Amino acid sequence: MQLLIVDDEVEFASTLVERLALRGIAASSANRGHDALAMVMAHRPDVVLLDLKMPDLSGLEVLAGIKAIDSTIEAIILTGHGSAAAGIEGMEHGAFDYMLKPVDLTVLLGKIEQAYRKRKAG
Amino acid sequence: MKRIEQLFTQFLPTDPEKPMDAGNRGKSYAHFKRTLFLIMLLIAMLPEAITAGIGYYQYRNLLLSEEHDQLLWRLDGAQKTIDAFIEGLQSLVKFVAEEERYSALLEKENLQVLFDRLKEQYDGFVDLGIIDSSGVQRSYVGPYDLLGRDYSKREWFHKVQEQKVYISNVFLGFRQIPHFVIAVVENIPGTGDFWVLRATINADTLQKFVTTIQTQATNDMFLVSSARQLQTSSKYHGTVLSQYDKPIDKNGVTAYRENLENRENTVFYASSVLKNTPWTLILTEQDYVHKEEWASFKLRLILIFAGSSLVIILIISFLVTILTDRIRASDEKQLSLLAEAEHSNKLASIGRLAAGVAHEINNPLAIISQKSGLIDDLIGLSQPFEYRKKIRETLAGIQDSVIRCKNITHRLLGFARRMEVTLEDIDLNQVVNEVSTFLENESLHNRIQVQTILEDHLPPVRSDRGKIQQILLNITNNAIDEVGCDGIIRITTASGSASVQIAIKDNGPGMPPSVQEHIFEPFFTTKEQGKGTGLGLSITYGLIKKLGGTITVDSTVGEGTIFTINLPYTPPHTEENNHEQYAVTDC
Repeated sequence: MQLLIVDDEVEFASTLVERLALRGIAASSANRGHDALAMVMAHRPDVVLLDLKMPDLSGLEVLAGIKAIDSTIEAIILTGHGSAAAGIEGMEHGAFDYMLKPVDLTVLLGKIEQAYRKRKAG
Repeated sequence: MKRIEQLFTQFLPTDPEKPMDAGNRGKSYAHFKRTLFLIMLLIAMLPEAITAGIGYYQYRNLLLSEEHDQLLWRLDGAQKTIDAFIEGLQSLVKFVAEEERYSALLEKENLQVLFDRLKEQYDGFVDLGIIDSSGVQRSYVGPYDLLGRDYSKREWFHKVQEQKVYISNVFLGFRQIPHFVIAVVENIPGTGDFWVLRATINADTLQKFVTTIQTQATNDMFLVSSARQLQTSSKYHGTVLSQYDKPIDKNGVTAYRENLENRENTVFYASSVLKNTPWTLILTEQDYVHKEEWASFKLRLILIFAGSSLVIILIISFLVTILTDRIRASDEKQLSLLAEAEHSNKLASIGRLAAGVAHEINNPLAIISQKSGLIDDLIGLSQPFEYRKKIRETLAGIQDSVIRCKNITHRLLGFARRMEVTLEDIDLNQVVNEVSTFLENESLHNRIQVQTILEDHLPPVRSDRGKIQQILLNITNNAIDEVGCDGIIRITTASGSASVQIAIKDNGPGMPPSVQEHIFEPFFTTKEQGKGTGLGLSITYGLIKKLGGTITVDSTVGEGTIFTINLPYTPPHTEENNHEQYAVTDC
């Protein structure tokens, strides 16, 4: 499984990449929207963990870009942003689910697993 | 103009530029009501009072003028009668004093015959004398010895020569009996000389005549000389020859009144100079004929005025009360809407702030969580070492704290999020739990137990979560303030046929009925000054109404208070609900 973590919080993204690697999940990270889209284009990850607020592109714009590249790639919105409306909007744009930071790794892994299964099934 | 506007603004109960506390507002409405009442009363009563006043004076003047005319009419009648009497006396004397009878009358016998005849006509004749042109009495019949008396120096002797007929004032004379004199001048034919016939008449004759013509309606009637000496007796001014103390108008007919305001002693005077005499006829009336008519008019006027005034006062009082109540209700509605909007805005701002803070904290919290997680992962993979167990326990502690922080930020975010939600299906039990969790800290610090007795499988209601949360927070917060330390607040939910009931019961001091009556009014508070705005329950009431629900309060002093809220399963379908926009749209 290929996983891409898109978050402008470098420490968060890199630590998560490391922890996932320890669990045998190949994950890479991007801290800008444009970088994320470039990486999606290059590596076609199975699941993307997506922050909503980033300096260059918003999470929803990145989501739209990902879905344009490959609509089967699943995205899980993972953000500290508290608006239900933003989460709901993300789901409407094709996000797999919506989670609030800080999130328990086990729960996150479960969600990633579900998304991956969906990608494989789809 | 500006001054008038200022005055007008002062008079109005509310000035939008000046905030007012509840006490002053109450006083201000009372002041407005009083001022409006007085102004309207003035406007209504002034024309009435003016009309009544004009009526009063017009009618009085009419009566006075009529009385004046009547008095003059009577005076005229009396004057004519007395004139006729005096003329009669004069004619009689003139008749007996024919020119050619001079020589015959010088004989006392002839004069005696004439005197006897006169006495037959008028008993009052006292004596009769013939005086020649030199002023010497040549013949005399009467009780005194006046023959040969010289009158040439007397004033009357000269006056009679000028006037041909002379009537004297009443005087006492030798007998000390009041009498007067009539004298006529006649020529002696062929000589150019003259003679005078002088008759003395008892004043009694005059008195009897005046008394005879004095009618019942006339109070007092008498004659006075030009020197203001009574010529006949007066009821109020003394007997004959007494001095009359009032002024006399010597120029003709006049009438005036005294002590008009004091009706008991009102006296009307009318006087007229009698022609060819030195006398003035005076007629007085006390308590004149219109007295009763005037009293009855005044009574009717007072009754009508008082009656209509009473009706006016009642109508104005009714109108002013309605008007003030309407203004007050409208002001209160406006104020409560403003307050509600302000309160919502305040909550929205707090919501935005909370969301912002939560978001900012969530990211570093996520980093802490991941970093400590990574450390734990790495330790898990490493060989056992001395402090391994202790470090993992510590990391677990960090994770616990992260979870606690997360719960706080999520709750804050939840609170903010709910501000923007409109209608949704809500599990009221969940809202009650959220609210009690929210107030957990505050209640714990005050050692207050918040108990919840929630009905299982409570059907959801379609309503506004944020508003319900606000309603429950307001009432529960109030209850916490009321119960104080060691109090118990019990929140129960129960489903009904058309609504869900939430009851919030406390064991606080309770409220008397007088407080319960006003509890939902804006600006009503029983808290200390500065502690409560008096808006919480008013806003709560407004919110519940908006959601189509009801709220009632039941309280017993010393036992506690129960607020019972009923929320319908579905809200009433209104325009307001359809188009309502919420202040918070983004966090």
